[in-house]
Amino acid sequence: MTAMMMPDSVDNLLQVRDLRVLFMIEKGRAFEAVKGVSFNVPRNRTVALVGESGSGKSVSALAVMGLLPQENAIVDSTSSIVFDRHELLAMSIAERRKLCGKDVSMVFQEPMSSLNPVFTVGFQIGEVLRLHMGMNAKQARTRVVELLNEVGIADAESRINAYPHQMSGGQQQRVMIAMAIACEPQLLIADEPTTALDVTIQKQIVELIAALQKRRQMSVLFITHDLGLVSEIADQVIVMRDGEIQEQGEAGQIFSAPANAYTKALLHCRPSLDARPWRLPVIDDYLNGIIQTELELPERKRGYSENDEPLLVVRNLSKSFFSREGLFGKKEFQAVKDVSFTLPRGKTLGVVGESGSGKTTVGMTLLRLHKATGGQAFFGGKDILAMSSREFAAYKCRIQIIFQNPYASLNPRFTVGQILLEPMRIHGIEANDRERSEKAFQLLQRVGLKAEAFHRYPHEFSGGQRQRIAIARCLTLQPEILVCDESVSALDVSVQAQVLNLLQDLQDEFGISYIFISHDLSVVKYMADQVMVMHHGEVVETANSDDLYRHPAHPYTRSLLSAIPKRRNG
Amino acid sequence: MTAEPIPVSPGLWALAWRRLCSDRVAMASLFVLLLFLLTLVLSSTGMVAGDWNEEVGISYAPPSFIGASGSGNADTAAAADPQPPENPLDPLKDVLRELRAEMAGKAAPAAGQASSDYGIRDPLEKELAEIRSNLPESGLQPARTRRDTLPFGADKWGHDIIKKTIKGAETSIIVGLVAALLATFLGTLFGALSGYFGKGVDDVFNWFYSVFTSVPYLLLILAVAAVLQKKGVLTIVLILGLTGWTGVFRLVRAEYMKHKSREYVMAADAIGASHWSRMFSHIFPNISHVALVQMSILAVGFIKSEVILSFLGFGVPVGVVSWGSMLNEAQNELILGKWWQLAAATVAMAVLITAFSLFSDALRDALDPKLK
Amino acid sequence: MLAYVVRRLWQMVPTMLGVILLVFLLFNWVGGDPAYILAGKISNPEQIANIRRQLGVDEPYYMQLWIFIKQIVTFDFGNSWSTGEPVSQILGTRLGPSLTLLIPLTILETLIAVALALMVARARGSLTDRMVMIACTVGMSISILVYIIVFQYGFAYKMGLFPVQGWGDGFAENLFRYSALPIIVLLAVSIAPNLRLFRTFVLDEIGHDYVRTARAKGLGESRILWVHVLRNAAIPIITYVMSNLPALLIGAFLVERFFSIPGIGREVILAVERSDFPVIKAITVYVAVATMLFNLLADLLYQAVDPRVQLQ
Repeated sequence: MTAMMMPDSVDNLLQVRDLRVLFMIEKGRAFEAVKGVSFNVPRNRTVALVGESGSGKSVSALAVMGLLPQENAIVDSTSSIVFDRHELLAMSIAERRKLCGKDVSMVFQEPMSSLNPVFTVGFQIGEVLRLHMGMNAKQARTRVVELLNEVGIADAESRINAYPHQMSGGQQQRVMIAMAIACEPQLLIADEPTTALDVTIQKQIVELIAALQKRRQMSVLFITHDLGLVSEIADQVIVMRDGEIQEQGEAGQIFSAPANAYTKALLHCRPSLDARPWRLPVIDDYLNGIIQTELELPERKRGYSENDEPLLVVRNLSKSFFSREGLFGKKEFQAVKDVSFTLPRGKTLGVVGESGSGKTTVGMTLLRLHKATGGQAFFGGKDILAMSSREFAAYKCRIQIIFQNPYASLNPRFTVGQILLEPMRIHGIEANDRERSEKAFQLLQRVGLKAEAFHRYPHEFSGGQRQRIAIARCLTLQPEILVCDESVSALDVSVQAQVLNLLQDLQDEFGISYIFISHDLSVVKYMADQVMVMHHGEVVETANSDDLYRHPAHPYTRSLLSAIPKRRNG
Repeated sequence: MTAEPIPVSPGLWALAWRRLCSDRVAMASLFVLLLFLLTLVLSSTGMVAGDWNEEVGISYAPPSFIGASGSGNADTAAAADPQPPENPLDPLKDVLRELRAEMAGKAAPAAGQASSDYGIRDPLEKELAEIRSNLPESGLQPARTRRDTLPFGADKWGHDIIKKTIKGAETSIIVGLVAALLATFLGTLFGALSGYFGKGVDDVFNWFYSVFTSVPYLLLILAVAAVLQKKGVLTIVLILGLTGWTGVFRLVRAEYMKHKSREYVMAADAIGASHWSRMFSHIFPNISHVALVQMSILAVGFIKSEVILSFLGFGVPVGVVSWGSMLNEAQNELILGKWWQLAAATVAMAVLITAFSLFSDALRDALDPKLK
Repeated sequence: MLAYVVRRLWQMVPTMLGVILLVFLLFNWVGGDPAYILAGKISNPEQIANIRRQLGVDEPYYMQLWIFIKQIVTFDFGNSWSTGEPVSQILGTRLGPSLTLLIPLTILETLIAVALALMVARARGSLTDRMVMIACTVGMSISILVYIIVFQYGFAYKMGLFPVQGWGDGFAENLFRYSALPIIVLLAVSIAPNLRLFRTFVLDEIGHDYVRTARAKGLGESRILWVHVLRNAAIPIITYVMSNLPALLIGAFLVERFFSIPGIGREVILAVERSDFPVIKAITVYVAVATMLFNLLADLLYQAVDPRVQLQ
């Protein structure tokens, strides 16, 4: 696990040496977010800073910009950040502020909240020009229009007077980029600029940044958790974990022959589009040296077959949301239009789409958490959408759901034991609480948690562990169908693989059918037998997963697939 | 299987308590509040300040740390007043001079006897002497000697200011706490039903809310006070409680609406929990801290409102003392230069409310679950 | 926009009816027979019956309610029970002094509190910040009564800087001479709670991402606070000030009473003391109407200030 140091070179625009950042939480306790990190950003190069949540990558970038919260962040005095031969940490706040926006600028993750909602886009971009370049209003306006055109905003002349909320996420991010490059900075720091955006837009933004970098000959520090995303644009790669650098070097080297176990894990834990191993490799496999190279496992075949017994048959499912308009009118928003599919026993149906495609609504409607506006869902022969609530209560044992946000799906005031016992008590499973607790202990172990978790509160567990608790909660009822609503999307890559393996094990053992909803195409290809692609509430294409990914029929499916960053194979 | 030692896992309340304990300001204000509560218990059971109504001091007795005003016995207060200077234009000035010389020559009358100025004898003197000699047998107490100074002075009738302040604290705290409890209970109940069920139920409660909030709070209180002719602590508590629920209602309703669409509630729905179970077992423990903080904020507001009401005469009845009634008296006393009742009531009130406010703020910070 | 206003006015009707019902129930039902109150202690049944007929309380309840509604719509509440003055005249003449006091007060109070809030937010977390907050807490714990008594005694009686009480005839005289001390007292009382609230609004805004972006652009703290944050914090501030105005009208009653300013607030207290029901009813109903109109105004203003809001 040696961290390779880049050679000191006069050509380095940014030199960070031994950066140490501490956060004071409560009196007397400090948390070390960055533990002595050293790296360089050369001129006219793109450097990717990769790490999962908690790795310290964003904190390092904020330290360079001088944007760490003054109340509780401390940068160690032995650290050094040299930008263009000036020692930043020796400068006063006012002097550092002068550099911000002019020589170094930053683009953030959430464009909607990063823009001031009450000022127009033109005003906000113009502000930078007027402050650093001394332009007057008219000059600024002309320049702003040029910038908006450069970042790819159509109809710049009129969009200049738009407010942030009137633009889409992708357009907002372009505006942020325009603001950042307005004063021709030498270094652009992009902190997870595409994480909050849809897959198709992600690709466009990444390409935009790469194009701007080449055209203006500036350096880019691209921060992300997705190693694959930067494979096409990075010149150098730095991998961080828990506040330390695990590995850094030229991109070609890192991607083809990573030296560090963690880097290897990051590269291979994500399911790829080409192979479907029986089980996904997890970080521990790499860290414990079990795997030296690619995992050698048999392929898992997937797909619906002729003699599959259908468990759930959905026909013409629709769901509309109504809002008030005008004096007496009602506006209808059709979230789901005419969706039909079949789910056989023991198989997985994948539902893919971007945000707003209606995929989550489909899952919620099947569980009757939303009331369907139309359609039927035959489960074991009976239409569960038409039943009374009382009749459906008995079906709640048979179809369950795991939500996306592991931090919100468990009641923070209940112990894990209470969370697991509640469904059993409601449905009268097992005879008394002692037997129920026994079952709860067994389930906890089955999902990979210690039995003592029974007495703990959710806030003591990590995201991946909480998702396991949610899975255990569903298992208490022994469901036949499990709806996984973006269940791994909020998890880190390394943890994702573990949870996916767990879900697959459970399917192998208990024969549970899954409806696997996700925006992540690679994950869906790995998990699903059949894939249903949704766009604006409608089903665009349904096919067995291998067929879909190899020969996509619909143009939308093709654009989705082409947006997946190709893994650079060295 | 269960032989493993059960690790003590701190729930969110325990964590909040720990956070509160580490906040020195919070602990200090809590200590002050507990002192007040202790005083309240002692006072309401009569162990302390039960005899506040006794006229133990002379009228407007100054506080001990200032010293007696040198006026002596109340009966001879007038006689001990410095003589007004002689007015040369007064046609009776010679007569007055003679009379003064005569009075100064006389010995000060014995305590308890009516002053016999001007040489006129009291026609009832014999009967009064008889009654006085019979007093010890009849069991009545003779008029006690009134003290010149009291620890913090006396009011117009000679009541001990400190005892009045303690009694006033009792009134204010009881009114504040009980009314806050009532208002919080109503607001939480209505807010929960309204926020959780939405639609029709929400419309009905919102209508109530908009009706009650259209009329400014103080106006509503005054209107109700005007209508309810009988006064008393219970009346004030009812008035404040039945009109003050609106703030809590709005907050609790917003919280319920927010939590209702959270995933853990949807998960509870998915596993089959009933509406009531979701409302009270699941959501309520997650918002109870909001209600708690609101209750303590309301208590502060109600204490202040009660003082104003009592000041205006719409609050406590005549026999009961409140800081408001003390301030009412103080208003006129100030011109006479007697500031101690004003000071006592103000300081006591300020200490209680400051402690309460600081504690509310600290409570809110400690209970903030956003960190988790 | 017009559709929105019309819909809001339409929605006000049930609330208005509710207020009317509440006032009616309170005064005509709970309030007891007014005839006995008016007739005094010594009266014979004939006199009482007479009074009741005059007041119309011998009619059944629904008739009384109908009369009440008519009164509201025609602005004619009859005469005051204590002074005999027509209620509408009372309200008309008392409104002026109240406004002379309240409008300058609101303007000054808001401007001062906002400026202080921004300055305190600039120094957040420091000792100054905490000291100011504690001073505010202590300031708020002293009853308004004490402020009035002490200020009146100190500045007016002892130092003679202002008149102790009273009201004049000329507008300028009223504004500068007689309103000065009352306004100062109310400012002193309201600074602390307003400062605390506005500070919270400002600090909430400072925690938002766009402030971090502004810093990343290289803007100075002053500009960030006074331009970016203020513009956003203005939204809750305006909402608060607008919705607080009607309450202010009544809340100034103590000041009006002490300083003998013939305003609406003082009128309310007098009416309550004398159980003068027509006056109280009229004031309650009209203040309720004013509150609802101010809320509507606040929402319209909100839309003008916040571009994200779309009125449906």
